[in-house]
Amino acid sequence: MTTPVSLAAPGVLGLAELHAAATAAALSVTASGCWPETDADVEVTPLAGFIESAFSPLIAEVAGRVLRRRAAVVVAPDDAAEGGPELAATDGAVPDVAAEDGTVTAIVLVTALGDVTSAARVAAAVDAGKRVPPLLFFQSVPNAVAGYLAARWHLTGPVVCVSETGAAVDAAALLLDDADADEALIVRADLGVTGGARDRAAAILVTGPTGRPGIDLRERHEHPRHRPY
Amino acid sequence: MTEGTVAAPVARRGPGPVVVTGAGVLSAYGRGTEALLSGVLSGRPAFGPVDRFDASNRRVRVAAVMPGSPDLLTEVARATREACDDAGLTAAERARSPLFLAIHGDPELARAPEPGQPGLGPDALTAEVANRGGLATHGLRCYMSACVAASTAIADAAASIARGQADRVVVAGGYLVDSDQFALFDAGRVLAADGQVRPFSANRRGLLLGDGVGAVVVESAQSARARRAPVLARLAGWGRAGDAYHPVQPHPEGRGMARAITAALQRAGLGPDGLGYVNAHGSGTAHSDPAETSALRLALGEAAGTVPVSSTKSLHGQVLEASGVLELIVTMLSAGQGILPVNAGFLGLDDECRLNLVLGEPLAATPEYAMSLNAAFGGANTALVVGLP
Repeated sequence: MTTPVSLAAPGVLGLAELHAAATAAALSVTASGCWPETDADVEVTPLAGFIESAFSPLIAEVAGRVLRRRAAVVVAPDDAAEGGPELAATDGAVPDVAAEDGTVTAIVLVTALGDVTSAARVAAAVDAGKRVPPLLFFQSVPNAVAGYLAARWHLTGPVVCVSETGAAVDAAALLLDDADADEALIVRADLGVTGGARDRAAAILVTGPTGRPGIDLRERHEHPRHRPY
Repeated sequence: MTEGTVAAPVARRGPGPVVVTGAGVLSAYGRGTEALLSGVLSGRPAFGPVDRFDASNRRVRVAAVMPGSPDLLTEVARATREACDDAGLTAAERARSPLFLAIHGDPELARAPEPGQPGLGPDALTAEVANRGGLATHGLRCYMSACVAASTAIADAAASIARGQADRVVVAGGYLVDSDQFALFDAGRVLAADGQVRPFSANRRGLLLGDGVGAVVVESAQSARARRAPVLARLAGWGRAGDAYHPVQPHPEGRGMARAITAALQRAGLGPDGLGYVNAHGSGTAHSDPAETSALRLALGEAAGTVPVSSTKSLHGQVLEASGVLELIVTMLSAGQGILPVNAGFLGLDDECRLNLVLGEPLAATPEYAMSLNAAFGGANTALVVGLP
């Protein structure tokens, strides 16, 4: 039996920040998750092909939690409106399958500093005149773990990485408004870089509000005011 | 679209036309758009030995670099000012223009002591570039999406402006060849051991890094008209989509890129025959070039065999996060001049890369529309379509 961590824990605070930003942008949160989420979240599960840093495994972990919960209602509308995360333990209640229903899901990563552990490891090897492990090449940009998520969960939407939550939510809202995606997985991950700071990550799956005006290009010729320009 | 392509949602966009009114750049050919254009149209690749840092223990020791060790922040700020000057922006107009910056991060971060790291984040770098350029202090964004970072920023800027959420956004990107990324790419064995980038060619050996900094002023047509600003190009369409295939390899059929191209053409209101030039991603690597060829065939059908295509990475190198903005500038300037740059380094036909490549010497042509493509790790793909005035 696990218990939720304190509402003041870094992962929960990160999730609250994501909820609040999504709510402010009039997006609907359909699933959410964070790290650490319960007192069992001590060491993140390693991710095959990614080495020496918790950055990519953290993103894979919280994204996996959200995507396993996508079919379950884990965020009541009232909770979302208040910006508060609902940490219902429904992992495993939903079949662990990729979305094959044609839903297009964008991946929007947010990180203030990126994978500083890997970057420091590379710098140390370069400064020492040593060989850099080839696997560090593949994880040298946050896109790589996004590609892992996309392949694992069949997420065919755009892949974006920005450094700030508000920018991520704005970018996701625009992707939804313009039909580049049906839903967006927004993942925030930050390694603890100062003394005592814990690694933390949070993720939400969002859909857009309906009816925001935009040109549906299929209807261009049916609506004279929307002529091609 | 050709049968077999992954079904794509039909792209929407806001109603406002979007234009580019200014550009600034640095490449291995030098600083400024004139140096870039004359260098690219010379057809002579800018690759040479790297002496900016000790590369003696690397498998490959070649890149497209400027002399000396230019400073990234200084150069991004300079290119941003150049773009704003080119666009004729007043100080007051700059102060209302937010910056979207595409960059890997602060080069000092990896060696900074832990307590100092938070102050070296990309947000701080973005704010400093904006400050030096007299740009807005709000609405700043930093994109770190690898080789589609700048093209994604441009697409976001265009989408925002088309919907009337902004009048103008300055988009900049920068990468200067450095010891850490060089070591990583060398360790990944993706650098071309023969010292040339040969996109879509038989016997291509890989990519080579290059110095690249670029900035563009993306603006609503209405705003540009009100300022009586000359227009470099119309940003007619944009699209992005993912492969959902592999962490670092493209989908072999280029499915994500095909959907990105289709979305960009939809937004431009353009059919495949309307494109007069494609500035390809064309990394010169074994897997990427056939995937991109397939994407062009999926999205453009028969037109993929006739539209002139070149990858200017064969000239200025792979400039990572700055690729999207540097290559858009190359596309706008060269197509605007009526001369399409060569796909350099070509040795012979690869059956998996059958395209109408611009080979031998630049091609005189005046395309009405041109497209710039980019792809990155994570199966991320972007397409930008520009209309030439």
